[in-house]
Amino acid sequence: MSTERTSPTDRTETDGGTLEFIRSKLEIFEGDRLGQIGLGILCSFILIGIFARPYTIDFLNLTIPGLAPHDPAERAVGGRLESPSGAHPLGTTHMGRDVLSQLIAGTRVTLIVGSLAAFMAVFIGTNVGLISAYFGGWVDDVLMRITDIVYGVPFLPFAIVLVAILGSSIVNIIVAIVLILWRSTARVIRAQVLSHKQRPYVESAQAIGASHTRIMYRHILPNVLPLTFLYAAFAVAWAVIAEASLSFLGFGDPNMLSWGEMIYNVYTANAIREAWWWVFPPGICIMLFVMSVFFIGRTLEKEVNPELQHQ
Amino acid sequence: MGLRAYVVRRVLQLIVTFWAFFTILFVLFRMMPGDPTSMFIMDGMTPEQREQRIAELGLNEPLHVQYVEYARQLLRGDFGQSFIYRDPVIDIIAVRFMNTIVLMGTALLFAYLIGITFGAIMGWWRDSRFERGGIIVTLVARSSPEFWVGIVLLSVFVFWLGWFPSSGMRTTGGELGGNFAARYGSVDFLRHLFLPALTGAIAYLATPTLLMRSTMLDVLNADFIEIKKAEGLPERTVLFKHAARNSVLPLVTVMAIATGSAMGGSVVIETVFNWPGMGREMVNAVNNNDYPLAMAAFFLMGSVVIIMNFVADLAYVYLDPRVEYE
Amino acid sequence: MTLLDINGLKTYYRADNGWVRATDDVSLSIDRGETVGLVGESGSGKTTLAKSIIRLLSDNAEIVDGSINFDGTEVTELSDKELRKQIRWSEISMIPQNAMNGFDPVYTVGQQIVQVIRHHEDGTSKKEARERARSLFDELGIEPDRVDDYPHQFSGGMAQRAMIALALALSPSLVLADEPTTALDVVIQDRILDTIKEMQEELNSAMIMITHDMSVVSETCDRIAVVYGGRIVEIADTETIITNPRHPYTLGLRNAFPDINDDDQELISIPGTPPELVDPGEGCRFAPRCPFAEQECWEETPEAESYGDGHAVECHRADEIDHLQEEAGKKETWTEQDLGRPEDSQSDQPEEVMLDD
Ligand code: SF4
Repeated sequence: MSTERTSPTDRTETDGGTLEFIRSKLEIFEGDRLGQIGLGILCSFILIGIFARPYTIDFLNLTIPGLAPHDPAERAVGGRLESPSGAHPLGTTHMGRDVLSQLIAGTRVTLIVGSLAAFMAVFIGTNVGLISAYFGGWVDDVLMRITDIVYGVPFLPFAIVLVAILGSSIVNIIVAIVLILWRSTARVIRAQVLSHKQRPYVESAQAIGASHTRIMYRHILPNVLPLTFLYAAFAVAWAVIAEASLSFLGFGDPNMLSWGEMIYNVYTANAIREAWWWVFPPGICIMLFVMSVFFIGRTLEKEVNPELQHQ
Repeated sequence: MGLRAYVVRRVLQLIVTFWAFFTILFVLFRMMPGDPTSMFIMDGMTPEQREQRIAELGLNEPLHVQYVEYARQLLRGDFGQSFIYRDPVIDIIAVRFMNTIVLMGTALLFAYLIGITFGAIMGWWRDSRFERGGIIVTLVARSSPEFWVGIVLLSVFVFWLGWFPSSGMRTTGGELGGNFAARYGSVDFLRHLFLPALTGAIAYLATPTLLMRSTMLDVLNADFIEIKKAEGLPERTVLFKHAARNSVLPLVTVMAIATGSAMGGSVVIETVFNWPGMGREMVNAVNNNDYPLAMAAFFLMGSVVIIMNFVADLAYVYLDPRVEYE
Repeated sequence: MTLLDINGLKTYYRADNGWVRATDDVSLSIDRGETVGLVGESGSGKTTLAKSIIRLLSDNAEIVDGSINFDGTEVTELSDKELRKQIRWSEISMIPQNAMNGFDPVYTVGQQIVQVIRHHEDGTSKKEARERARSLFDELGIEPDRVDDYPHQFSGGMAQRAMIALALALSPSLVLADEPTTALDVVIQDRILDTIKEMQEELNSAMIMITHDMSVVSETCDRIAVVYGGRIVEIADTETIITNPRHPYTLGLRNAFPDINDDDQELISIPGTPPELVDPGEGCRFAPRCPFAEQECWEETPEAESYGDGHAVECHRADEIDHLQEEAGKKETWTEQDLGRPEDSQSDQPEEVMLDD
């Protein structure tokens, strides 16, 4: 059967405008229901995250209203632990704060942690994998031993200790996540680059005297980029789960309320048995967000791995 | 390279990894804020007593001396003294470590048994409704952090149906005493074990399931599967004895990674269910600056992961006759 | 005495654009102990034909019509269980193209032979089965102790011998050999073919030898069936097919392996690819590639015509044998034809459908 394979040749040239490029990339979602659902959910979260709080544009004297009906930190906008009503669609907390507003504001934290941590982790992982495989020898040995060692470090306990040391801020949480998360990307990219190193286009680039950096970043990297994107999607998912778990354990950034922290608050308020409206929305949001990323990842996976595409 | 040389090399690697891990651990914890004595000051400790205490703990020595000293202690199995409990760390942690191993071991065992079976069937019946539904269920499970799975199970089975106890390891308490059989050998214990173990099983189900499915798809294309069918062997035999048996190999490697997630996950699951294990103890210790205790817990968790990586590599060699010991 | 009688067999594959007629109205009968070659390019449907006999078809394939009578049993009507117990391996076994991939890599070859023996013979102990595996190895010229080796420890030729041992473990009355030697180098090829031949004669098993290689069949087979486009276009005894074929496709195949009749002859291959078998419609399926195609060929499907002694040909011009044979020997005949229909030269160029892989 004629499965269309992405040709393993040099893919450095991208002609056509950016829009055209994006459209061509979106094509892989065609006829893939799960991927479309994932994309839809993720886009909704991004919009909610962007418009969560009001924006004021000073020189136009204009305020764009935020989606959150109340200030998430404001106390006693309603009664204590009110169940959902017209005024508070998702009820209130034990301090009388509005759960819906907290939920909307929490989207932002998730987006920030997810995107920044994933970007940094994949950036490090891709470079480590690329350099390791391209140069081989002792460079490879050293980098891979380091990767092995990082694989021996349990993720969450490490993050807990690091955040305890550096302090509970969102930046430190991201750093802790990134320090572990790069390992899987490094291994996978290394394996992929190893197979590309043997291909004729690399040899011909070497033959015309291209520099190592040029061969690595202009010739090989574009070919492993789809895999990088796939691992970026996974990294977003793991980063969000890690942040939520850390916050749930009480190591979240006290100044930026996240979904995980909301559930931590329910626990510390001893309200888990009665206040279902306070527990379930953030939990469901975390699950939906991560799920959307995994659905998209599945679509990317088919692109990276055409053998899976028999359906 | 022969099998023997491979094993020797792998053992050397293991030692180096342990050393590196130990160093990370040491550096991390010396960076920890808060004087380990600060919590005693409130008890009316005089500055002299404080000095004495710091000297007792060896904290006034230069760092490299402390490093060597700590390494020597660890090799003897001595993790120092807990600041809070004021007991040797090893006494506090040993039982909790076992509790964690029992809990997470059960969870992983179920995750793998269910995952391998489901994944194999999903691959066998590719493009069926079962496969498509299975993938969605698996991805949803994978998308749920451990604490969320735990909360959902708690809400359904404890708060709503009231079928299981909500927390702890035993109704009567006394979770840290008694011998092995007394601690883990009762129906009451199993009732307490069920929900947290199920939580872990659900959280770690996805990797074996999806990996099993995709390797199954590869293996099913192999010629020998057709030959086995032509041999007139029943489907069950071809599916489990040949197709699944060949697909299990890559799972051995991720088993080590799964142990890593499980060690990390224990921190969360034990918190949700108040399980008297090492993970929960570690969170408490970190919160209280009890770093001998936190360090020991962290060290043990890392050790389990490192040793599992080692075991997985050796198991792979044993299970796959084709492996070259490169 | 007839062992296998296939009548009007149609095995189709479901595809997005209709049914792929991989085997389309094929009849063939095979006697006990006889060796029949199925020759054709890959994509001609010869493997599908062979696999239909033990119903080893993929999920999207179906035997839509026809009968397969094996030693008095109608194979198409057996339940899966009966098929596994009565037919597969105990009566009909197979030798795959690449023996190395035919063994499960995680068990020793001996374990796999023992497994199949014990599965089909209830009373046989492990020890007896193992003894039989060892003596099979011995007969095939492999050191008996190697039953304890894993498949990857064998060389290609040895693995093929081990595969033959597996195929013959239950003394089947029919062996389906699918390109059993193409993966091997030439010297070993001959030796393996000899071994197969010897063993087969000893057990009096019939064999279907599937190959694209005319020289292989000419050495081993009693009769040859030439398969094209899901049909047997010519069938006769080996001698006739080699020296006196009547179908243009057979002539073409013969050219592609010149060593079998005349050393001086140049190798000429048939241009084009096998046809796509989705709703082929009327007309001879070889017409797009046939240098002798006439108007009639495009419009009417040729019927099988008998030329005595079990020689049957599906071609409108089979009567003009002398002229065709002479023309077919010239290279220009094959190279200087324009492919496609005479009127509309833009007929859909057939795409390759890989049915045999
Ligand atoms: S029927 Fe016509 S087209 Fe077909 S093989 Fe004979 S001569 Fe060629």
